[in-house]
Amino acid sequence: MKLRLCLYLAAISAVLVAAAPSHTAKRPRYGGTLQVEIGATVTSLDPAVAAANPEEAGAKAELDALLYDRRGEDGTFAGVAGSGAFRVSEWEAGKRAVLTANEDYREGRPFVDSVEIQMGRSAHDRVLDLELKKTDFAQIPAEQARPAADHGVRVSTSQPNELLALVFLRGGPGIEAARVREAIARCIDRAAIVNFILQKEGEPAGGLLPQWSSGTAFLFSTETSARSAKEIRSQISASPKLVLGYDSADRLEQSVAERIAVNAKEAGISLTSRGISSPGNKPAHGTDIRPGEAVHVDARLVRLRMLSPLPRVSLTAFIETLGPMAGIVDSPLPQSASPEDVYYCERSIINSGLIVPIVWMPQVYGISARVRDWKQPAASETWPLAGVWLDSSDAH
Amino acid sequence: MTFRSKLFVNFMLALLLSVALVTAGVTVATRRAFDELNRQHTDALVEQFQREFDRRGHDVLHRVQGIAEAEPTVRMAIDLSRPNADISVYVNDAHGVAQSHQLDFLDFVGTDGSIISSAEWSARFGYKMEWVTQKEDWASRGSFLMRLDTQEGPALALLAVAAVRVGDKDLYVVGGERLGKEFLASLVLPENMRALLYLNLDPAFQPVNLIDSAGSVAEAERFEPIIERERAHPSALTEKINWTFDAASAEIFHAIPKLGRQNELLGVLLIGNSQRTVVTLERHILWLAIGVAAIGILFGLFLSWWAAARVTLPVRRLAAGAREVSDGNWNTRVAVRGTDEIGQLAQSFNRMTQELVDQRERLIQAERVAAWREVARRLAHELKNPLFPLQTTVENLQRASTQNPDQFEEVFRESTGILLAEIENLKIIVGRFSDFAKMPQPELGPVDLNDIVRNVVKLFEAQFCAVGRPPITPELHLGENLPTIQADTTLLHRAIENLILNAMDAMPAGGILMMRTAQNNGNVDFEISDTGVGLTREEADRIFTPYYTTKQHGTGLGLAIVQAIVADHNGRITVESEMGVGTAFHLELPVKPPHHPNQTTPVVVAQEVEKKEEA
Repeated sequence: MKLRLCLYLAAISAVLVAAAPSHTAKRPRYGGTLQVEIGATVTSLDPAVAAANPEEAGAKAELDALLYDRRGEDGTFAGVAGSGAFRVSEWEAGKRAVLTANEDYREGRPFVDSVEIQMGRSAHDRVLDLELKKTDFAQIPAEQARPAADHGVRVSTSQPNELLALVFLRGGPGIEAARVREAIARCIDRAAIVNFILQKEGEPAGGLLPQWSSGTAFLFSTETSARSAKEIRSQISASPKLVLGYDSADRLEQSVAERIAVNAKEAGISLTSRGISSPGNKPAHGTDIRPGEAVHVDARLVRLRMLSPLPRVSLTAFIETLGPMAGIVDSPLPQSASPEDVYYCERSIINSGLIVPIVWMPQVYGISARVRDWKQPAASETWPLAGVWLDSSDAH
Repeated sequence: MTFRSKLFVNFMLALLLSVALVTAGVTVATRRAFDELNRQHTDALVEQFQREFDRRGHDVLHRVQGIAEAEPTVRMAIDLSRPNADISVYVNDAHGVAQSHQLDFLDFVGTDGSIISSAEWSARFGYKMEWVTQKEDWASRGSFLMRLDTQEGPALALLAVAAVRVGDKDLYVVGGERLGKEFLASLVLPENMRALLYLNLDPAFQPVNLIDSAGSVAEAERFEPIIERERAHPSALTEKINWTFDAASAEIFHAIPKLGRQNELLGVLLIGNSQRTVVTLERHILWLAIGVAAIGILFGLFLSWWAAARVTLPVRRLAAGAREVSDGNWNTRVAVRGTDEIGQLAQSFNRMTQELVDQRERLIQAERVAAWREVARRLAHELKNPLFPLQTTVENLQRASTQNPDQFEEVFRESTGILLAEIENLKIIVGRFSDFAKMPQPELGPVDLNDIVRNVVKLFEAQFCAVGRPPITPELHLGENLPTIQADTTLLHRAIENLILNAMDAMPAGGILMMRTAQNNGNVDFEISDTGVGLTREEADRIFTPYYTTKQHGTGLGLAIVQAIVADHNGRITVESEMGVGTAFHLELPVKPPHHPNQTTPVVVAQEVEKKEEA
């Protein structure tokens, strides 16, 4: 009887062991090279060298998170390069970088031996390489997250940390008219932009800082009121013909700009979208940008990436970027600024009508199947590559 | 202008008029034929274009229906029919489907009219396209024109709508092609034709809305009248536009209004047919006609000349004959054959000249008889005067011999003296007649008429102042630098003597005898006038007739001799007289008497004319 019972228990144990998920049965292993593709071209990792564009700045911050072990007081990474999980072993500026695992990392050696980063890869190529399993990790545009997931790509999104805003440029004809700016701000259908253009990856933005960072974003309205926009428009004797510029290489900006133009048209405001070339960006196919062409715009779309989770730091960075564009002269926030000070500063900028936040977008990562132990990054985190390992059974 | 020239000009005018009429007729007929052909050609092309337009509409309809019946669209319709369906996943679908079906416009529209996905204006998702939800059988509606708002502005589209019904909800597929330069470029048009399209998208005519396959149209404002007429009353019309002054630059445009679903004018299709080929062909034909006409005119010129010469030859022969007759050659005959009017005229002419010759002969005979009678009368008159004394003297001798023999000797001496004197008179009379009969031919030589006049006057100076008669005062007005003439000095001397004697006889009571010489158009004039009793008209007419005299004792030969001398010098003498005032004789003597032409026969004259014509 005891023997029979033992046999039954052994059989049940064997069945349970066999029925258990295989990956849960695997242990993390060291080794392998994690293939990473990014769209930006980082020309220098020197903190003293400023990034040419926000995309490079964001990528640089991602790399910094791998190379430095802690953040500074302003929330950005700083300290001794190579103190982080990885060290730079090979560097081709703007093209390729190889980071090798730091054996002396404070939190322990990463599982992967190295991380090979290909720079300057287009979004289409990145998604394609993910689908073809030619890369392990890549950032993909938010609006392509759902189609990529439909095609079998593992998708992970961060907290929204990139702001897409409309900035009325200083000196544009007639744009000083606060009524016109107000009408445009009210007619923008942010929900439609999030739901249709961003395919629900993001959230409408009423303020300059996201809710997870400032905690006051809910105080800024994101409501659309085409009716009130029309009323304001009817109070304007002659609405100027405005041109809204967007980065001609950015499909997302183009779609958003065209949608804003439609919203404005429905409100009776003449606003046309037009692609403009940005430094370091190549015009996308189908745009009407020609080399050397000077395009006059009255407003333009701007993407702003939060480089620090601290609201004061991010807001200060935003003001430094947008202020000269919109002609906003504001005193920088002191380090001792309270959350209320940050809010009032943010409110002041929003009320000026020169900057119209549209949406907050998350960072969307595509991850190959062999990347294991991927954890969705927290609000203040960047690439959590130090904790992932590669499953050799699902090799490329 | 000669009759021949007039006839030639008339022939030419008639020919030119005929050629011009024929050329104009051919040109007009050709132009009408070409216009008709051109119209038929254009009508056929317009009809062909209309068929092509309809075919494109059917094609659009089939493609839209194909999209509606495709599996993804049906799946979309099923998904959207579910409660709380997420339509955002379809927001970008229209673009790819439109590309794969080669449509310029494609919209997926929900059952409430909201745009789910738009190919031409992707940012318009969520907005309403309410006209789609109106109650209409889209399947039977077919394709239609419609004005659509696009990102670049309003556009004209050839649309079709297909509905996919799932449960009680519809998914509308609205697709179509843009009516623009690409549409025009896809049309197959023959050479010299082009298609323009006016997009009636604005309240007033806008030149920029007129396009062709290359884009905007040059000088689009020239089409404004056509477009405005179409806007006022949409109907097919034809209009010609001359781009330059050259007719070959003209184009005939057939305007076809294109209406929308509500019969509103959305576009005007303009089929242009260049007239360059037709005009070039017409010009070619015109130049050919002109060339043929020119050749015809040249040929007609030659024919007219020949015909005019042939027709007018008898007339010119008649004219030459008439000139011969007028020159005194009455024996002239015209050699014209035929029985037509000209022939009859020539025969009449010949009969007339024959009659003239006969009458002249008869007149000469009559004058000859009259002259002989006058001579006989003069002879009888002249001879009667001496014969009567002779008879009386002889009778006195006879009487004296019988009755007074003693006085016979005395009578005989007186009688014989009288007889001898009368016989001498008879001899003188006979000598005068003999002299007139023996007028010599002039021996020409250089003569100064003034010298002759002075010499003759010098001879008569004594008689002008003779005692016992009233004086006659000669007045000489002799021209200076008078040319010498070819004449016979003796004969002229005699003629002037006779004229002076005649004037002295005309002035028994004395008077003034004026003589004047002068040069006149290759002639030398000599005029002698007296202040005598003058002549009657009848006397003046007969004054040069031989043996005619108004004087009691004249022979009537003096002035006849003068006329004969003047005539022998190819001169001319005339007389003017007025009773009680005086008489003046006027002589015209040629400086060089012309050579007497050979006398020709009538036949020779006609032959000479004919020879000239043949030359």
